[in-house]
Amino acid sequence: MIVSEIMQTTLQTITSDKSVAHAADRLNEQRGELLIVVDHGEVKGILTPRDIFTSHPNRIVADAMNMRPLCFSSDQMVWDAGGLMEEHGIEQALIMTGDQLAGLITREAIMIKLAEFKDPLTGLFRAPYIQSIAERYLSSKVPFHLLFIDLNNFGQINKQYGHPFGDDVIREFSAILLAMMDEKHDYVSRYAGDEFVLISTAEEEQIVSYIELMEKPIAIRHMQVSAAVGHVNGYLEPRFFSYSFRDLIEKASLLSTLTKKRAIGSVT
Amino acid sequence: MDMNDKNVYSRKATLSLKISEFEVPPMQDLLIVGKRAPIGPEAVRRMAEALSPEQFTLIRMDHPKIEAVLLRNTLLQMLDEKLLMNIIMEEAERMISDSMVLRSELKIAVTVQREVDLS
Repeated sequence: MIVSEIMQTTLQTITSDKSVAHAADRLNEQRGELLIVVDHGEVKGILTPRDIFTSHPNRIVADAMNMRPLCFSSDQMVWDAGGLMEEHGIEQALIMTGDQLAGLITREAIMIKLAEFKDPLTGLFRAPYIQSIAERYLSSKVPFHLLFIDLNNFGQINKQYGHPFGDDVIREFSAILLAMMDEKHDYVSRYAGDEFVLISTAEEEQIVSYIELMEKPIAIRHMQVSAAVGHVNGYLEPRFFSYSFRDLIEKASLLSTLTKKRAIGSVT
Repeated sequence: MDMNDKNVYSRKATLSLKISEFEVPPMQDLLIVGKRAPIGPEAVRRMAEALSPEQFTLIRMDHPKIEAVLLRNTLLQMLDEKLLMNIIMEEAERMISDSMVLRSELKIAVTVQREVDLS
Protein backbone atom coordinates (compact mmCIF):
# COMPACT_ATOMS: atom_id res chain seq x y z
CA MET A 1 0.00 0.00 0.00
CA ILE A 2 1.34 3.41 -0.94
CA VAL A 3 0.76 6.76 0.75
CA SER A 4 -1.25 8.24 -2.12
CA GLU A 5 -3.99 5.68 -1.39
CA ILE A 6 -4.70 7.14 2.04
CA MET A 7 -3.55 10.77 1.76
CA GLN A 8 -5.86 13.77 2.15
CA THR A 9 -6.28 15.63 -1.10
CA THR A 10 -8.38 18.53 0.18
CA LEU A 11 -5.63 20.90 1.20
CA GLN A 12 -5.81 24.27 2.89
CA THR A 13 -3.15 26.65 1.73
CA ILE A 14 -1.95 30.10 2.72
CA THR A 15 0.69 32.46 1.35
CA SER A 16 3.79 33.27 3.40
CA ASP A 17 3.05 37.00 3.61
CA LYS A 18 -0.14 36.61 5.66
CA SER A 19 -0.08 37.22 9.40
CA VAL A 20 -0.09 34.45 11.95
CA ALA A 21 -3.32 35.93 13.36
CA HIS A 22 -4.94 35.57 9.92
CA ALA A 23 -3.65 32.00 9.65
CA ALA A 24 -5.16 31.19 13.06
CA ASP A 25 -8.54 32.51 11.92
CA ARG A 26 -8.34 30.49 8.68
CA LEU A 27 -7.49 27.30 10.52
CA ASN A 28 -10.29 27.91 12.98
CA GLU A 29 -12.88 28.63 10.29
CA GLN A 30 -11.94 25.65 8.19
CA ARG A 31 -11.37 23.36 11.19
CA GLY A 32 -8.20 22.15 9.48
CA GLU A 33 -5.20 20.34 10.93
CA LEU A 34 -2.63 22.57 9.25
CA LEU A 35 -2.05 25.05 6.49
CA ILE A 36 0.32 24.46 3.61
CA VAL A 37 2.33 27.55 2.74
CA VAL A 38 2.41 28.05 -1.02
CA ASP A 39 3.89 31.04 -2.84
CA HIS A 40 3.41 31.30 -6.61
CA GLY A 41 2.56 27.60 -6.83
CA GLU A 42 5.65 26.51 -4.93
CA VAL A 43 5.41 24.80 -1.53
CA LYS A 44 7.40 26.78 1.04
CA GLY A 45 6.50 24.99 4.25
CA ILE A 46 3.72 24.02 6.62
CA LEU A 47 2.07 25.88 9.46
CA THR A 48 0.71 23.77 12.31
CA PRO A 49 -1.47 24.89 15.23
CA ARG A 50 1.66 24.51 17.36
CA ASP A 51 3.57 26.96 15.12
CA ILE A 52 0.68 29.40 15.43
CA PHE A 53 0.51 28.98 19.18
CA THR A 54 4.23 29.64 19.67
CA SER A 55 4.52 32.64 17.31
CA HIS A 56 3.54 36.27 17.80
CA PRO A 57 0.24 36.92 15.96
CA ASN A 58 1.78 39.90 14.16
CA ARG A 59 4.51 37.80 12.54
CA ILE A 60 4.13 36.79 8.96
CA VAL A 61 3.57 33.12 8.14
CA ALA A 62 7.10 32.93 6.64
CA ASP A 63 8.49 33.58 10.13
CA ALA A 64 6.33 31.01 11.88
CA MET A 65 6.17 28.09 9.44
CA ASN A 66 8.20 24.91 9.37
CA MET A 67 10.38 25.42 6.31
CA ARG A 68 11.51 21.82 6.08
CA PRO A 69 8.43 19.62 6.35
CA LEU A 70 8.83 15.90 5.85
CA CYS A 71 7.93 15.05 2.25
CA PHE A 72 7.17 11.65 0.77
CA SER A 73 6.91 10.67 -2.83
CA SER A 74 3.33 9.62 -3.64
CA ASP A 75 4.49 6.04 -4.24
CA GLN A 76 6.20 5.68 -0.83
CA MET A 77 5.08 2.59 1.09
CA VAL A 78 2.73 3.40 3.97
CA TRP A 79 4.72 1.20 6.38
CA ASP A 80 7.99 3.00 5.59
CA ALA A 81 6.36 6.43 5.85
CA GLY A 82 4.79 5.48 9.19
CA GLY A 83 8.12 4.18 10.50
CA LEU A 84 9.94 7.39 9.55
CA MET A 85 7.26 9.63 11.06
CA GLU A 86 7.28 7.63 14.27
CA GLU A 87 11.07 7.63 14.46
CA HIS A 88 11.26 11.42 14.11
CA GLY A 89 8.09 12.19 16.07
CA ILE A 90 6.54 13.97 13.07
CA GLU A 91 2.77 14.33 12.93
CA GLN A 92 2.22 15.47 9.32
CA ALA A 93 4.01 15.03 6.02
CA LEU A 94 3.46 16.32 2.52
CA ILE A 95 2.99 13.98 -0.40
CA MET A 96 4.66 15.06 -3.62
CA THR A 97 4.34 13.78 -7.18
CA GLY A 98 7.58 15.02 -8.65
CA ASP A 99 7.64 18.73 -7.76
CA GLN A 100 3.88 18.95 -7.42
CA LEU A 101 2.03 18.86 -4.12
CA ALA A 102 -0.33 15.92 -4.23
CA GLY A 103 -1.64 15.65 -0.68
CA LEU A 104 -1.08 15.50 3.01
CA ILE A 105 -0.75 12.58 5.37
CA THR A 106 -0.94 12.45 9.14
CA ARG A 107 0.80 9.97 11.41
CA GLU A 108 -2.58 9.23 12.99
CA ALA A 109 -4.09 8.25 9.61
CA ILE A 110 -1.10 5.98 8.89
CA MET A 111 -1.28 4.34 12.31
CA ILE A 112 -5.02 3.68 11.95
CA LYS A 113 -4.41 2.11 8.53
CA LEU A 114 -1.46 0.06 9.73
CA ALA A 115 -3.46 -1.26 12.69
CA GLU A 116 -5.80 -2.89 10.16
CA PHE A 117 -2.82 -4.85 8.82
CA LYS A 118 -1.43 -5.93 12.18
CA ASP A 119 -1.88 -9.34 13.71
CA PRO A 120 -3.18 -8.73 17.24
CA LEU A 121 -1.49 -11.84 18.68
CA THR A 122 2.07 -11.12 17.56
CA GLY A 123 2.05 -7.44 16.63
CA LEU A 124 3.54 -8.44 13.25
CA PHE A 125 1.96 -7.31 10.02
CA ARG A 126 -0.30 -9.82 8.26
CA ALA A 127 -0.04 -11.27 4.75
CA PRO A 128 -1.27 -8.20 2.76
CA TYR A 129 1.73 -6.27 4.09
CA ILE A 130 4.32 -8.72 2.79
CA GLN A 131 2.37 -9.15 -0.45
CA SER A 132 2.43 -5.41 -1.01
CA ILE A 133 6.20 -5.26 -0.44
CA ALA A 134 6.90 -8.24 -2.68
CA GLU A 135 4.73 -6.87 -5.48
CA ARG A 136 6.44 -3.52 -5.26
CA TYR A 137 9.90 -5.10 -5.51
CA LEU A 138 8.77 -7.34 -8.36
CA SER A 139 7.28 -4.46 -10.33
CA SER A 140 10.38 -2.34 -9.88
CA LYS A 141 12.62 -5.33 -10.72
CA VAL A 142 14.42 -5.35 -7.38
CA PRO A 143 15.56 -8.91 -6.54
CA PHE A 144 15.00 -10.23 -3.02
CA HIS A 145 15.04 -13.36 -0.89
CA LEU A 146 11.71 -14.83 0.17
CA LEU A 147 11.67 -17.18 3.15
CA PHE A 148 8.58 -19.20 4.00
CA ILE A 149 8.93 -20.16 7.65
CA ASP A 150 6.71 -22.94 8.96
CA LEU A 151 6.92 -24.02 12.61
CA ASN A 152 7.58 -27.74 13.08
CA ASN A 153 5.04 -29.86 14.96
CA PHE A 154 2.85 -26.92 15.81
CA GLY A 155 -0.36 -28.96 15.47
CA GLN A 156 1.05 -31.42 17.95
CA ILE A 157 2.00 -28.61 20.39
CA ASN A 158 -1.58 -27.34 20.24
CA LYS A 159 -3.01 -30.80 20.77
CA GLN A 160 -0.65 -31.71 23.59
CA TYR A 161 -0.53 -28.43 25.53
CA GLY A 162 -3.66 -26.57 24.38
CA HIS A 163 -4.22 -23.59 22.11
CA PRO A 164 -3.32 -20.88 24.66
CA PHE A 165 0.13 -22.45 24.96
CA GLY A 166 0.29 -22.65 21.14
CA ASP A 167 -0.44 -18.92 21.07
CA ASP A 168 2.41 -18.33 23.52
CA VAL A 169 4.76 -20.26 21.24
CA ILE A 170 3.66 -18.20 18.21
CA ARG A 171 4.08 -14.96 20.16
CA GLU A 172 7.54 -15.83 21.44
CA PHE A 173 8.73 -17.16 18.09
CA SER A 174 7.55 -13.90 16.48
CA ALA A 175 9.50 -11.89 19.03
CA ILE A 176 12.63 -13.93 18.27
CA LEU A 177 12.10 -13.41 14.52
CA LEU A 178 11.62 -9.68 14.99
CA ALA A 179 14.74 -9.38 17.14
CA MET A 180 16.73 -11.23 14.46
CA MET A 181 15.67 -8.90 11.64
CA ASP A 182 17.44 -5.81 10.44
CA GLU A 183 14.87 -3.17 9.51
CA LYS A 184 17.19 -1.80 6.83
CA HIS A 185 16.52 -4.73 4.53
CA ASP A 186 14.14 -7.19 6.17
CA TYR A 187 10.34 -7.35 6.22
CA VAL A 188 8.55 -10.03 8.16
CA SER A 189 4.89 -10.96 8.52
CA ARG A 190 2.73 -13.61 10.11
CA TYR A 191 1.38 -15.15 6.95
CA ALA A 192 -1.13 -17.57 8.49
CA GLY A 193 -1.41 -19.79 11.60
CA ASP A 194 2.13 -20.95 12.35
CA GLU A 195 3.59 -19.66 9.08
CA PHE A 196 5.69 -16.56 8.64
CA VAL A 197 7.10 -14.93 5.52
CA LEU A 198 10.30 -12.92 5.40
CA ILE A 199 11.39 -10.76 2.50
CA SER A 200 14.93 -9.50 2.55
CA THR A 201 17.41 -7.72 0.33
CA ALA A 202 20.30 -8.66 2.63
CA GLU A 203 23.45 -10.47 1.46
CA GLU A 204 23.16 -14.21 0.92
CA GLU A 205 25.38 -15.07 3.93
CA GLN A 206 22.95 -13.18 6.13
CA ILE A 207 20.03 -15.19 4.74
CA VAL A 208 21.89 -18.45 5.27
CA SER A 209 22.53 -17.51 8.89
CA TYR A 210 18.81 -16.61 9.34
CA ILE A 211 17.80 -20.02 7.99
CA GLU A 212 20.28 -21.81 10.25
CA LEU A 213 18.98 -19.95 13.28
CA MET A 214 15.34 -20.64 12.42
CA GLU A 215 15.89 -24.33 11.72
CA LYS A 216 17.88 -24.84 14.90
CA PRO A 217 15.61 -25.74 17.85
CA ILE A 218 15.03 -22.72 20.10
CA ALA A 219 13.89 -23.08 23.71
CA ILE A 220 10.45 -21.53 24.17
CA ARG A 221 9.19 -22.23 27.68
CA HIS A 222 9.86 -25.94 28.20
CA MET A 223 9.67 -26.76 24.47
CA GLN A 224 12.29 -26.91 21.76
CA VAL A 225 10.74 -25.17 18.76
CA SER A 226 12.19 -25.14 15.28
CA ALA A 227 10.96 -24.17 11.84
CA ALA A 228 11.23 -25.51 8.32
CA VAL A 229 12.27 -22.80 5.91
CA GLY A 230 11.64 -22.64 2.17
CA HIS A 231 13.95 -20.18 0.44
CA VAL A 232 13.44 -18.58 -2.98
CA ASN A 233 16.53 -16.64 -3.95
CA GLY A 234 15.54 -13.83 -6.31
CA TYR A 235 19.19 -13.16 -7.14
CA LEU A 236 19.69 -16.63 -8.59
CA GLU A 237 16.22 -17.70 -9.70
CA PRO A 238 15.88 -17.52 -13.49
CA ARG A 239 12.76 -15.64 -14.60
CA PHE A 240 12.28 -14.39 -11.03
CA PHE A 241 10.44 -11.26 -12.17
CA SER A 242 7.97 -13.24 -14.25
CA TYR A 243 6.62 -14.80 -11.04
CA SER A 244 3.70 -13.36 -9.14
CA PHE A 245 3.71 -13.11 -5.36
CA ARG A 246 1.37 -16.10 -5.26
CA ASP A 247 3.85 -18.15 -7.39
CA LEU A 248 6.72 -17.26 -5.06
CA ILE A 249 4.76 -18.20 -1.94
CA GLU A 250 3.75 -21.47 -3.57
CA LYS A 251 7.34 -22.23 -4.48
CA ALA A 252 8.73 -21.31 -1.06
CA SER A 253 6.00 -23.13 0.87
CA LEU A 254 6.60 -26.33 -1.15
CA LEU A 255 10.32 -26.01 -0.44
CA SER A 256 9.57 -25.64 3.27
CA THR A 257 7.41 -28.80 3.14
CA LEU A 258 10.31 -30.60 1.45
CA THR A 259 12.68 -29.42 4.20
CA LYS A 260 10.18 -30.65 6.78
CA LYS A 261 9.92 -34.08 5.09
CA ARG A 262 13.69 -34.27 4.78
CA ALA A 263 14.07 -33.51 8.50
CA ILE A 264 11.54 -36.18 9.43
CA GLY A 265 13.30 -38.62 7.07
CA SER A 266 16.64 -37.91 8.64
CA VAL A 267 15.21 -38.52 12.13
CA THR A 268 13.56 -41.86 11.27
CA MET B 1 -24.90 70.53 34.33
CA ASP B 2 -27.71 68.83 32.47
CA MET B 3 -26.24 66.73 29.60
CA ASN B 4 -29.58 66.73 27.81
CA ASP B 5 -29.53 70.47 27.51
CA LYS B 6 -28.31 71.05 23.90
CA ASN B 7 -27.51 74.66 24.62
CA VAL B 8 -24.81 73.71 27.15
CA TYR B 9 -23.29 70.36 25.97
CA SER B 10 -20.67 70.32 23.20
CA ARG B 11 -17.97 67.89 21.94
CA LYS B 12 -14.77 69.18 20.44
CA ALA B 13 -11.57 67.62 19.13
CA THR B 14 -8.14 69.17 19.01
CA LEU B 15 -5.75 67.92 16.32
CA SER B 16 -2.01 68.11 16.53
CA LEU B 17 0.00 67.46 13.34
CA LYS B 18 3.74 66.83 13.23
CA ILE B 19 5.40 66.38 9.85
CA SER B 20 8.92 65.23 9.31
CA GLU B 21 10.84 63.55 6.50
CA PHE B 22 10.61 59.75 6.31
CA GLU B 23 14.09 58.32 6.54
CA VAL B 24 14.88 55.72 3.95
CA PRO B 25 15.68 53.17 5.07
CA PRO B 26 14.04 53.54 8.49
CA MET B 27 16.26 50.87 10.06
CA GLN B 28 19.60 52.71 9.82
CA ASP B 29 22.53 50.26 9.96
CA LEU B 30 21.28 47.24 11.81
CA LEU B 31 18.29 45.55 13.38
CA ILE B 32 18.46 42.90 16.07
CA VAL B 33 15.41 40.65 16.08
CA GLY B 34 14.34 38.88 19.30
CA LYS B 35 13.12 35.30 19.17
CA ARG B 36 9.55 36.19 20.16
CA ALA B 37 9.46 39.64 18.57
CA PRO B 38 6.31 40.75 16.75
CA ILE B 39 8.34 41.00 13.53
CA GLY B 40 10.29 37.95 12.43
CA PRO B 41 13.53 37.77 10.43
CA GLU B 42 11.85 37.02 7.11
CA ALA B 43 9.52 40.01 7.47
CA VAL B 44 12.53 42.19 8.33
CA ARG B 45 14.45 40.85 5.33
CA ARG B 46 11.51 41.46 2.97
CA MET B 47 11.03 44.98 4.36
CA ALA B 48 14.72 45.81 3.86
CA GLU B 49 14.69 44.30 0.40
CA ALA B 50 11.63 46.32 -0.57
CA LEU B 51 12.96 49.62 0.81
CA SER B 52 16.67 49.25 0.03
CA PRO B 53 17.20 46.42 -2.43
CA GLU B 54 20.49 44.49 -2.15
CA GLN B 55 21.76 46.73 0.66
CA PHE B 56 21.14 44.53 3.70
CA THR B 57 22.06 41.00 4.73
CA LEU B 58 20.14 38.88 7.22
CA ILE B 59 22.23 36.73 9.54
CA ARG B 60 20.28 34.08 11.47
CA MET B 61 21.59 33.35 14.96
CA ASP B 62 21.60 30.35 17.23
CA HIS B 63 21.06 32.28 20.44
CA PRO B 64 18.64 31.99 23.38
CA LYS B 65 17.14 35.48 22.88
CA ILE B 66 18.22 36.72 19.43
CA GLU B 67 16.82 35.17 16.26
CA ALA B 68 18.59 37.22 13.61
CA VAL B 69 20.53 40.38 12.82
CA LEU B 70 19.96 42.51 9.75
CA LEU B 71 23.14 44.31 8.72
CA ARG B 72 23.96 46.92 6.15
CA ASN B 73 26.20 45.32 3.54
CA THR B 74 28.72 48.14 3.59
CA LEU B 75 29.56 47.34 7.22
CA LEU B 76 30.43 43.80 6.21
CA GLN B 77 32.69 45.16 3.50
CA MET B 78 34.62 47.21 6.04
CA LEU B 79 34.95 44.69 8.86
CA ASP B 80 35.14 40.94 9.16
CA GLU B 81 31.65 39.48 9.79
CA LYS B 82 32.72 37.41 12.80
CA LEU B 83 34.45 40.34 14.47
CA LEU B 84 31.51 42.66 13.80
CA MET B 85 28.94 40.15 15.04
CA ASN B 86 30.89 39.48 18.24
CA ILE B 87 30.82 43.18 19.10
CA ILE B 88 27.13 43.59 18.20
CA MET B 89 26.10 40.51 20.17
CA GLU B 90 28.14 41.48 23.20
CA GLU B 91 26.39 44.84 23.41
CA ALA B 92 22.91 43.69 22.32
CA GLU B 93 22.81 40.76 24.75
CA ARG B 94 22.94 43.15 27.70
CA MET B 95 19.75 45.01 26.81
CA ILE B 96 17.58 42.90 24.51
CA SER B 97 14.67 40.74 25.60
CA ASP B 98 13.37 38.01 23.29
CA SER B 99 10.28 40.08 22.40
CA MET B 100 12.18 43.18 21.25
CA VAL B 101 13.51 44.46 17.94
CA LEU B 102 16.47 46.78 18.45
CA ARG B 103 17.51 49.38 15.92
CA SER B 104 21.08 50.55 15.91
CA GLU B 105 23.33 53.00 14.20
CA LEU B 106 26.83 51.71 13.62
CA LYS B 107 29.54 53.90 12.17
CA ILE B 108 33.03 52.70 11.47
CA ALA B 109 35.85 55.20 11.36
CA VAL B 110 39.22 53.87 10.42
CA THR B 111 42.23 55.77 11.71
CA VAL B 112 45.49 55.09 9.96
CA GLN B 113 48.90 56.20 11.03
CA ARG B 114 51.86 55.19 8.95
CA GLU B 115 55.54 55.67 9.27
CA VAL B 116 57.66 55.79 6.17
CA ASP B 117 61.37 55.49 5.79
CA LEU B 118 62.92 58.69 4.56
CA SER B 119 66.20 57.22 3.30
